[in-house]
Amino acid sequence: MKVYAGIDIGSRTIELVVVDIQGNIMDFIQTDTGFDPITEASRILAGVPHDQIMATGYGRGLFETAFDDAQTITEIKAHARGVVSIFPGATTILDIGGQDSKAIALNNGGRVKKFEMNDRCAAGTGKFLEIMAKNLGFSIDEFGVAALDAKNDLSINSMCTVFAESEVTSLIAKGADRKEIARGLHLSVVKRAAGMINRVSSLGPIVFSGGVANNPCIKALISQKLGRQVLVPEMPQRMGALGAALILAEKASESD
Amino acid sequence: MNIEPLMNDGFDGEPARRVLRYMEGHKEKGHPIVGIYCGYAPIELIYAMGIVPTVLCAFSKAPIPSAEAILPANLCPLIKSSYGFILEGTCPFFSMSSAIIAETTCDGKKKMFELAAQVKPLHVMDLPQLPDEVEALDNWTVMIRKLQGFLEKTYHTKATDQTIETAIQKTNRKNSMMRKFYDYAAIHPPVINWQEMYDVGFLALPSTGDEMIPLLETLLEKLDKRVEQGVHYGSPESPRVLVTGCPVGGDALKIFKIIEAAGGLVVVPDACTGIKAFMGKIEENTPDPVRAIAQRYLEIPCACMTPNDRRLSSLSEMIEKFKPDAVVDFVLTACHSYNVEAYKVGEYVGERHGLPYLKIESDYSDNDEGQIRTKIEALFEILG
Ligand code: SF4
Ligand code: SF4
Repeated sequence: MKVYAGIDIGSRTIELVVVDIQGNIMDFIQTDTGFDPITEASRILAGVPHDQIMATGYGRGLFETAFDDAQTITEIKAHARGVVSIFPGATTILDIGGQDSKAIALNNGGRVKKFEMNDRCAAGTGKFLEIMAKNLGFSIDEFGVAALDAKNDLSINSMCTVFAESEVTSLIAKGADRKEIARGLHLSVVKRAAGMINRVSSLGPIVFSGGVANNPCIKALISQKLGRQVLVPEMPQRMGALGAALILAEKASESD
Repeated sequence: MNIEPLMNDGFDGEPARRVLRYMEGHKEKGHPIVGIYCGYAPIELIYAMGIVPTVLCAFSKAPIPSAEAILPANLCPLIKSSYGFILEGTCPFFSMSSAIIAETTCDGKKKMFELAAQVKPLHVMDLPQLPDEVEALDNWTVMIRKLQGFLEKTYHTKATDQTIETAIQKTNRKNSMMRKFYDYAAIHPPVINWQEMYDVGFLALPSTGDEMIPLLETLLEKLDKRVEQGVHYGSPESPRVLVTGCPVGGDALKIFKIIEAAGGLVVVPDACTGIKAFMGKIEENTPDPVRAIAQRYLEIPCACMTPNDRRLSSLSEMIEKFKPDAVVDFVLTACHSYNVEAYKVGEYVGERHGLPYLKIESDYSDNDEGQIRTKIEALFEILG
């Protein structure tokens, strides 16, 4: 039996998903990207037999150069495919990863119709949350929980990471509540995400994928701000790798 | 497919060096040179006085740090680059120019011109920004007359209605041949690529009809040969892209390069660095040739105009002719005019033509190439 691997090389983590021709997940591995994505990728690939491989994520270009037989697709198409396999009727996807955030609208067939993606800055991405969590002395897992727990909304006005950092410093100096600052920072990410979602689609539930979907506060605030249901797949960070693998499997079954 | 370079003069792919040689030729003959920055500089009037217009450098990231010592960093890269070249004295075209022609297009440029005026004689034309008002034509005509006065005084030369009329007719002929040249990109798959369009456009802009027409004749012949031999770029399946928005050149060419690397073909570069510079026709044999020039320039669909509905109708014409599969709107960081207008353009392209639309906001640096590549590839995946 042939198996198909999808690898998502992101700025923070690498995910590898292997599926069979019916699309059943056979294997899943996640690792930190580190400073040398290709070595990391080769290391996890070494232990996982596969017949074909499809790379996605910001490191896909590198991967394609390093491995001749690799094919590539964008994170946008990959996440869409992954999400549709779990929520077949999905129309709107929010994908926030380490360095990029995207809003994707799908048509009836589950194909990408329209998308929005952040420009180069880190505001509104996982990177932003990570930097801010560190500033406030939270681990990334604690950060979302603490923000969810805050009593009041506090607003952070700077969109830029660097300016937001100094805003946080001065809030700390003023003795503001750490949880409330955390919530303010989450709100600023949500403001950006909501704007992107509104530009691509205005109706129906939103499927939240990518690593940041594990953050309960972002999820709750998006739903609150847009008045739409937010669905999070189990292991949202692997949607890209899953989508890539499924697209390979599909191609193979079509040519059978 | 290995395609023979179009001009084959050793400068293909390096249009700035080609134009530099061309300008040096003029300088050696003692011809006066005037620097221009913008599509609103009335080159027919300049030709009519025996002056040679030269487009000043504005597309490299190299001089931006120097500019940022004086200009705010969050300004459009085109303005920063232009000014950086002036400060560093590294734009050869600027050094050759005896004076600069400027227009009140966007605020950033207007203010930069005030600084540049301390370096070289600079004449600002007050551009009416409501082109549909009845007074606009009168006012712009007056501004062109004033420019004429400035040039006559600075260069000790004269224009007459007769020399202006001749320049108009020659530019009309040059521009109509340029449009014929771009027609080869309308063929499916296209017979010219973005680099060739950029190369030829770069030279054609400052050149007179007399200089350009014979060259264009040979180029069109070469292109007819390509058609006969079935030479073309890409394949019939390659996505065809119309690139609209801010001027594109130098380091901003990354947008064209990424489109090409992703398997797409730029079939219309619609900007002042592309086909826009050669559109429209100036009315010939009118009693007031300066007014005829004014009329044509007011029709330029630049985002500094309001309203700018001509941008939409000209997009429609281009879409019908060049049959793109998608529209990419290239907006330089901090260019509010084109950035705000992008929303309208996106809606229009989608609703009227059913085409996918993608706005790319970027500057001259290369650190966002990965993101741009993802956006362009995702756009092509939508088409595929
Ligand atoms: S886009 Fe507008 S302001 Fe810029 S060169 Fe063209 S006409 Fe001038
Ligand atoms: S790109 Fe925009 S901001 Fe920059 S000079 Fe042109 S009109 Fe002005």
